Amino acid sequence: MSIYYYLSAFLFCLGLLGTIFKKDLISMLLCVELMMGGVSLLFILFSKSTGFLDAQLMVVFTLIVSACEVAIGLSLIIALYRKKQTIYTDDIKIITE
Amino acid sequence: MLEATIEILIKTIIILGLPLGSLPIIIHVERRGAAFMQKRLGPNRVGPFGLLQPLADVAKFMFKEEVQPAHVRPFFYTAAPMIALVVALLPLACIPIAGPIEAFGRTIYPEVFRSEMGIFFAFAVSALGSYGILLAGWASNNKYSMLGALRACAQMVSYELSLSTSLVAMVFLYGTNDIHAMVAEQTGYWFGFLPRWGFFLQPVAAMLFLVGIFAESNRLPFDLAEGESEIVAGYHLEYSSMKFALFFMAEYIHMIALSALFIIMFFGGYSLLPGMDLIVDQAPSLLVVLQATSLIIKVAFMIWFFVWVRWTLPRFRYDQLMSLGWERLLPLGIANLIVTVLFVYFRNQ
Amino acid sequence: MAMDILLTLLTVVFALMVVFSKKTVVAAFSLLMTLLSLAMIYFQLGTVFLSAVQVLINAGAVAILFVFVMMLINLEEFSNNRERNKVKLVISTFTMLVVLGVLALVINNNIETLSIVNLSDSSMTALFDKLFNSYFLPFEMATVLLLASIVACIVITGHEKHGKEELKEQDKMGVE
Repeated sequence: MSIYYYLSAFLFCLGLLGTIFKKDLISMLLCVELMMGGVSLLFILFSKSTGFLDAQLMVVFTLIVSACEVAIGLSLIIALYRKKQTIYTDDIKIITE
Repeated sequence: MLEATIEILIKTIIILGLPLGSLPIIIHVERRGAAFMQKRLGPNRVGPFGLLQPLADVAKFMFKEEVQPAHVRPFFYTAAPMIALVVALLPLACIPIAGPIEAFGRTIYPEVFRSEMGIFFAFAVSALGSYGILLAGWASNNKYSMLGALRACAQMVSYELSLSTSLVAMVFLYGTNDIHAMVAEQTGYWFGFLPRWGFFLQPVAAMLFLVGIFAESNRLPFDLAEGESEIVAGYHLEYSSMKFALFFMAEYIHMIALSALFIIMFFGGYSLLPGMDLIVDQAPSLLVVLQATSLIIKVAFMIWFFVWVRWTLPRFRYDQLMSLGWERLLPLGIANLIVTVLFVYFRNQ
Repeated sequence: MAMDILLTLLTVVFALMVVFSKKTVVAAFSLLMTLLSLAMIYFQLGTVFLSAVQVLINAGAVAILFVFVMMLINLEEFSNNRERNKVKLVISTFTMLVVLGVLALVINNNIETLSIVNLSDSSMTALFDKLFNSYFLPFEMATVLLLASIVACIVITGHEKHGKEELKEQDKMGVE
């Protein structure tokens, strides 16, 4: 069972790698979601090992916040795509145009 | 360990085999029912009364040439119908066909998957139902299919809301989300003749749920995604033969699973139909069989209702569909929830 | 024990596909599979309700949003013509391995206190008892946050109904 701790650390770091490495905004958001998944797993493991149920509530709230964040992030990406026809961070250098 | 495995295997074969096996009957009922409502005869040549027609259909699907167009994405094209069928079969795992059985010295629950979340499992996995359609439309590399897929996916996600608000109201009313407890609350009669079904307590939630299950299974009047006259065949345009049959099967099984959920919450699930408790008084050992028969009769009536509505109502336009889901059903569901909460609060005082 | 290793391997494979696949849509579906594997892990750990919530919200809404937006902006047509920067890949992998190493060391040192003793199912009633008694304020704030994010999404994507005066000339030709 303790392998899940290593899995959660691995998911977090993999998500971090993806966020740094990927060039388009949607892939970055995907990797941020991966990080969130790793953190939720860690919370649940903590809740199971100490017996406190509060950590599971943390997971519920994290999930709600992550859903809101993904929704707003994606609508920002759509708005950006409408203006600039691109979602690559290399092309978005000028704030006002 | 071994007997647990055997138990689950037997339950799976029965509970998943029943809907899959009744598919030819449903297809035949649909075609004959459609003909009956359109004042024509329907298939009546293959076998007596056309009863072997579904068999002929299955044989056709198996032997027809599978044309895979060159412009599709191969992996997702093959995966989409499989995903659609598997996800459609999943909600059946938590639906019991009879009450708890006392046999072999312990209590056997006739549902494949029993857990603390009870009926929430069915809703959690039916949220995954949009993926088969989305994948199919996108993998087809075709503007019409993509459009149909996006519209179907948006429709399914929007009508999950009306399903969820009426589910929450019913769970609040019954005070439990265990299916056996819900059905136990609905057995018995008021005033001696009216069964204590949830439909009479919450007609608004029942209507919302009914509209929701029509929209979730992409049946008329909500079948804009596969509307034959508008976007040709929508997301299953590029599919032929067995893959198309898989989509077809997935739609009917989704119908069966959602009807079963509707009946569990609003029509008493496997509780006995009004005449049947006289039979049980005579022969108590027949209870399980009679409960399963009640459930099957009720689900069969719901399937007939699906066919009935399909050949009666015209199709909704997309903006009408979306405005219905978000602007009318969602506020109605929330209002119903508030009324239910107040009712339960004052009942418990 | 075998179940742990199998589920971990499944999650790792899908997570690697999320980060290292060339097509973004494959990455989105791999994210969906990762979230489903995580739901299986939650189920095995005994938190049945959180597993259902994970499938319902994370896999059934958030991932659908991703795939939907990818299809709306038609990502495939320009997702393949950017080369990967090899130096950047090496440096970021190195960073990631350093962070992973530190975390693994910390876990390794404390593994006895972190071992999981009770795998029995957490009761949903106890969880909701806590939610509605101690954590009621965050619950209500989460409601307000959801409402605010709905309004924000509608405003940002700006769906204006301007009627006929937005039609360009060639569209008008088609209408008449």
